[in-house]
Amino acid sequence: MKPQPQKAIVQVTRKFNASAERVFDAWLDPNTVGKWLFATPTGKMGKIKIDARIGGSYLIVESRKGTDVEHVGEYVEIDRPRRLVFTLKVPKYSEEITKVTVEIRALGTGCELTLTHEGVLPDYIASTTSGWNMILDQLSATL
Amino acid sequence: MPRASSLFQFTWIALADPTRRSILERLSRGEARVTELARPYSMSLNAVSKHIRVLERAHLIRRRRAGREHFLSFDPDPLTSAAAWIEAQRSFWMSRLNALDALLQAEDVTTPKTSKRKDKSR
Repeated sequence: MKPQPQKAIVQVTRKFNASAERVFDAWLDPNTVGKWLFATPTGKMGKIKIDARIGGSYLIVESRKGTDVEHVGEYVEIDRPRRLVFTLKVPKYSEEITKVTVEIRALGTGCELTLTHEGVLPDYIASTTSGWNMILDQLSATL
Repeated sequence: MPRASSLFQFTWIALADPTRRSILERLSRGEARVTELARPYSMSLNAVSKHIRVLERAHLIRRRRAGREHFLSFDPDPLTSAAAWIEAQRSFWMSRLNALDALLQAEDVTTPKTSKRKDKSR
């Protein structure tokens, strides 16, 4: 029997000193997204197209050592600043479509964000996680 | 022997079912015969055997033969791998959110918001 891909769910929570609105907008503003979500300080940020409406799609291309890595998906829910749901696919690594839910609630002068990633496949992660971690660590260090 | 990534998928499949989770829970308290395992469930021995095969395929169950008897025991190793994978995935998103936080704080330094009240708690 061939195994059916099983969905795994991963959830993280993090507090921010910035307002819920600012944190929410960082996910949809093309100028901001390119600086953190799929940014590569050593590589080049490629094309970023964001159609920030329900049913709208996005394309974020990062160029790593001459290789373009496309991140594509569609916005399923946009409820500023509380909730954002979008699909995510990285065709270079997997044809699997995963779902990311971002929930933000005001907390004091800042906010708390809970991210839920559903449908993540082990194959896909194994090929990408270490590279992404390295890239993000560098990004954090430069900022 | 499945590839490591297939084994991951077998682990998820095996753990997705409440009956299989409860079989593992029982075996975590010690080895048991198939008939003993089947007793608490209102399903046929055959149905329970199918669940056991799914667990064996995921390497979550070991089978020991003693004469005509088959004893099953729990092997937690695949769970450790699955937990490590989940942790790697969590740390990936956490580092993303750390980068976002660093970016927003950098913005605060370069373009202070005069209209917003500043952090009074410090």
